[in-house]
Amino acid sequence: MSPILLIAVPLGLAFIIPLLALVSRKLSAYVPAVGMLFNLVVSLYLLPSVLSKPIVVRTAGFAPPFSIHLVAGPLGLLLAGLVALVGLLVAIYATGYIKEGSVPRYHALYLLLLVGATGIVLTGDLFNLFVFFEILCISSYALVGYRGDKAGIESAVKYLIQGAIGSSLVLVGIGFLYGAFGTLSMADIAGNIRSVRPMTVFISMAFVVTGFGVEAAIFPLNAWLPDAHSSAPSSISAILSGIAIKAGLYAVARVLFTVYGAETFLPFILVLGLLTLLVGEMSAFSQNNIKRLLAYSSMGQMGLIVFALGLASAAGVEGALFLVVSHGLAKALLFLSVGYMIYRTGSMEISSLHGMAKKMPVSSLCFTIGAFSLVGLPPFIGFPGKFMVVRAALEKADVLYTVLVAIALLGTVVEGAYFFRIVQGLYFKPAPEGAVAGAGGGREAPFSALLPACVLAVAILVVGVCPHILTDYLGPAASDLLDKAAYIKHVLGV
Amino acid sequence: MLPAIILITAFGSAGAVYLAGKVHPRLRNGLAVLSSLVLAGLVGYGYGQKSELVTISDFLGVDLVLRLNSLAWFFAIYIVIINAGSVVFSLSYMKGKERLDFYYSMMLLVSAGMLGIVLSGDLLSFYIFWEITSWSTYLLISYRRGPALHAGMKYIIMSLIGSCAMLVGILSLYGTFGTLGIPELRAAISGCSPGYALFILLTMGVAFGVKFAILPLHTWMPDAHSEAVSPFSAVLSGVLVRMGMYGFLLIMYSMVGLKAVLSLGSGVLDFHYLFCWLGALTIVIPTFIALLQNDAKRLLAWHGIGQGGYMILGMALGTSMGVAGGIFHTINHGSYIALLFLVVGAVEYRTGGVRDLNRLGGLIKKMPVAFVGCLVGIMGLIGIPLTNGFVSKWLIYKTLITEGHPFLAFMAFVGTWGTILSVYKLLHNMFLGQLPEKYKEVRKSPLSMQIPILFFCLVIFFFGIFPGIPLRVIQGIQGTMGFAPLRLTLWGLASDAGALNMLNICFALVIAFAVVFLLMRLGPKGRRVAQHDSYAAGSFVPVDKYHYTVEFYNPLYRMISPYLKDRVDQFYYWIAHRASDIFDVTRKIYTGYAGTYVLYIVSFLAFLIFVQLVWRTW
Repeated sequence: MSPILLIAVPLGLAFIIPLLALVSRKLSAYVPAVGMLFNLVVSLYLLPSVLSKPIVVRTAGFAPPFSIHLVAGPLGLLLAGLVALVGLLVAIYATGYIKEGSVPRYHALYLLLLVGATGIVLTGDLFNLFVFFEILCISSYALVGYRGDKAGIESAVKYLIQGAIGSSLVLVGIGFLYGAFGTLSMADIAGNIRSVRPMTVFISMAFVVTGFGVEAAIFPLNAWLPDAHSSAPSSISAILSGIAIKAGLYAVARVLFTVYGAETFLPFILVLGLLTLLVGEMSAFSQNNIKRLLAYSSMGQMGLIVFALGLASAAGVEGALFLVVSHGLAKALLFLSVGYMIYRTGSMEISSLHGMAKKMPVSSLCFTIGAFSLVGLPPFIGFPGKFMVVRAALEKADVLYTVLVAIALLGTVVEGAYFFRIVQGLYFKPAPEGAVAGAGGGREAPFSALLPACVLAVAILVVGVCPHILTDYLGPAASDLLDKAAYIKHVLGV
Repeated sequence: MLPAIILITAFGSAGAVYLAGKVHPRLRNGLAVLSSLVLAGLVGYGYGQKSELVTISDFLGVDLVLRLNSLAWFFAIYIVIINAGSVVFSLSYMKGKERLDFYYSMMLLVSAGMLGIVLSGDLLSFYIFWEITSWSTYLLISYRRGPALHAGMKYIIMSLIGSCAMLVGILSLYGTFGTLGIPELRAAISGCSPGYALFILLTMGVAFGVKFAILPLHTWMPDAHSEAVSPFSAVLSGVLVRMGMYGFLLIMYSMVGLKAVLSLGSGVLDFHYLFCWLGALTIVIPTFIALLQNDAKRLLAWHGIGQGGYMILGMALGTSMGVAGGIFHTINHGSYIALLFLVVGAVEYRTGGVRDLNRLGGLIKKMPVAFVGCLVGIMGLIGIPLTNGFVSKWLIYKTLITEGHPFLAFMAFVGTWGTILSVYKLLHNMFLGQLPEKYKEVRKSPLSMQIPILFFCLVIFFFGIFPGIPLRVIQGIQGTMGFAPLRLTLWGLASDAGALNMLNICFALVIAFAVVFLLMRLGPKGRRVAQHDSYAAGSFVPVDKYHYTVEFYNPLYRMISPYLKDRVDQFYYWIAHRASDIFDVTRKIYTGYAGTYVLYIVSFLAFLIFVQLVWRTW
């Protein structure tokens, strides 16, 4: 089985959706779920076999560095699996949640977004990275504005402006590299990076990192995020937070670690991560809009992940990858469970969610599990992540790192403060009087929404109790990112 | 195997009780009581056993170990007994309240978490159970709604800060020694530098100090204890807070080691000496703040902090007798403070939620069992002979005197003086004096409240008269920490500086009582009169004016209250408000104009290139 199917099958399905919609609109809504189920099975099936050596897929019979090629290593497949898992669950959620507007177009764009994310993590050359990145970005611009209301369009346009600038910076940066090396294969460039004037390399790196950094939500490039996350439909917010920004971060990490091998730049990345964390958590603290709050919290979590990557040690990268998964699951769960609460009350104000546990007990429980996990409380999945990151920082046995990690932990205390307040609101505060009942009054969310939420909640609990389900793959995945020589050797076959 | 069975039962019953509640409330209540009793039985069965069991090997690179030893057993039995008492008490106290499935399940989860803490054989499991206990406690404090929400937030935020510090300490140990097993660390840590030992003691001490409510980390406790439902206040103040004590014992004497702790620092800046002073301050200030309280539960909560000071004082002294006193005082305090919270709960239950000491009084005839409970409880709290509080305080005082710490001893005595004043107010304002008209119809407390109240009374006397029994167990614990054994007898102990023999004291007191009783019988009989049959100089006094419990100690209050503001609490609030102001300013970074955002992106790029061009940093 070839990893290329992970891209080809969903891409094909995405184009079938509009055609299928002509026959049955209802049926077309299930296509993304089918595509992602396929991806999930394939990536989990392939994952054990790539732990020692990645599968390199060539196209048109040319060997790298001359062709478009995919490098399905442990990291790529792990992230592809995460994309597929969250994508599948959110797709199931969307079958019931997305009712208005041109539904087939939503599903087609949604699948394209996931194709973009999968492509980013699997590709082996820079230009393809850019192309998939654009697929991801363009479909997410469209999806943010899907509802067509004023707020949606406004934030979609803002997102579009910033995203487009980011993409063009990436393109310029890649152009520098192509001009200098005459190749676009990441492995090839990585192998010859020392042969070019360092300043040229740095300028190109500055462009590429800034460009990808926009999507990766690194401070100060992340201003699009709160608007886009809060105006998009909840299912899309879940994907943006759970998947899209992770794909951006993967792109940043891949170019930094593999292509540029920029070890000296990483301490700066670490500081940026810390800033992102603090700014995100501080901005989230007094938010009244639940989706904006979750968006800022995503920013904060991304900061923690970037911080861990900036530690530039195997333990740090493993911790970062664990957090990528744990945050992906937990934040998707939060957006999904909050989605129907907003739908039912017709308001995104936190105060309108008070007393929700009486009316929507399962959704509230799921929200609580997601929130506890994000704060890093055992026995949920967030705890091993936080544990690994702190351990990685303290392994440096350096007072500076101890102080930095203490600051990062203060960020998580702030995060705890606002999440605990919301949980109290859900369970222990009286429902607001004269609450404007949105669609469906005070009923629990439908089965199509509860199923994915419960699956995520169970996954959060199970991996939290048995983290080795995940950590077994993190070692190879981290060395996939850190061990540049092995990457070059595997891809170029020398 | 036993520790694993205990924990599986504990966590399993927390879940099972919730599900049982969905079937039938009776089933739930029965199951909750039954599982608490089974747990007590299981832990009791583990007396004297030693076992160690790797539950999960290689959890994030660490083996998770459960172990049972004398220290773990001692705290475990203490947890399950107080929990069982509170669960039985809850049966009637909580009747008719909302979300009882949640309540019972959380009660059991909290105690399961605490059992996990004491049965952990490595610091990672310790941390995991510590956090589970923290968040379940937060949920249970918040359960009462209203002001309890604020109390819950205060608790969980302080607790989170503590646990972050602890995480840094634990992982630093892991980074340095590559293991988290307590016995392995004990062996490894002995050779480390004093500075590092201090770092570990401080980082983990913050977490324990928050939970223990030691000054100046105590501010969550008065709110949380007074706002939680009474049976849970008993658990909270009786055992949960004392997990901090367990933690201190664990790191100070089981890990870092007695010798290293005593030799840490020099002169006035001696670690254990400063710690003693912290304990002494924790005795005096909160005890006098307790005096000012008019809310019965708040008063007890401040005593909970103050009595903690005695434990710290005893423990930090680092002598056999002092540490024995500290540990013994922990369980003694647990028994009488739980008893007092239950008594206040019973009064609250029968009077319709009143715990304002200015509005109660004269309930002695209406609620005799509660009165007895209150009397015994405050006797224990003060440390009157024949109660367990006497013995543990005797041990601590004795150590302070023989070790030559007159000032510390003075602080401890002053604390006891404040205690006597303030708990007398508690007893008097609830049970003595005139019965207000509206409480004429108050009935006595239901059986499920009387049982735990009487049980704790018995415990207090039993440990007070036969202190040798618990002290023998404590001696076993001290043996593992390298303390010299005490010369124990069933009735007390012998030492060079004077012996304690409760039998003699008991006899003396019995004779004294007999003499007084005889004199009373021989003297003329008193005449019983109705409550309002009194002389008021010819003018009619309305019945309610007889109620002279209002504004008890008012002159004293006016005298001392200006000195006893909780400035630490005010300081924390000040920090919180300033922080939240800063957060609001930070949020303004995101202006909402796409133009600014584009500017950010372009300037970031320019910044990178500029720095590199000028300084060649990267």
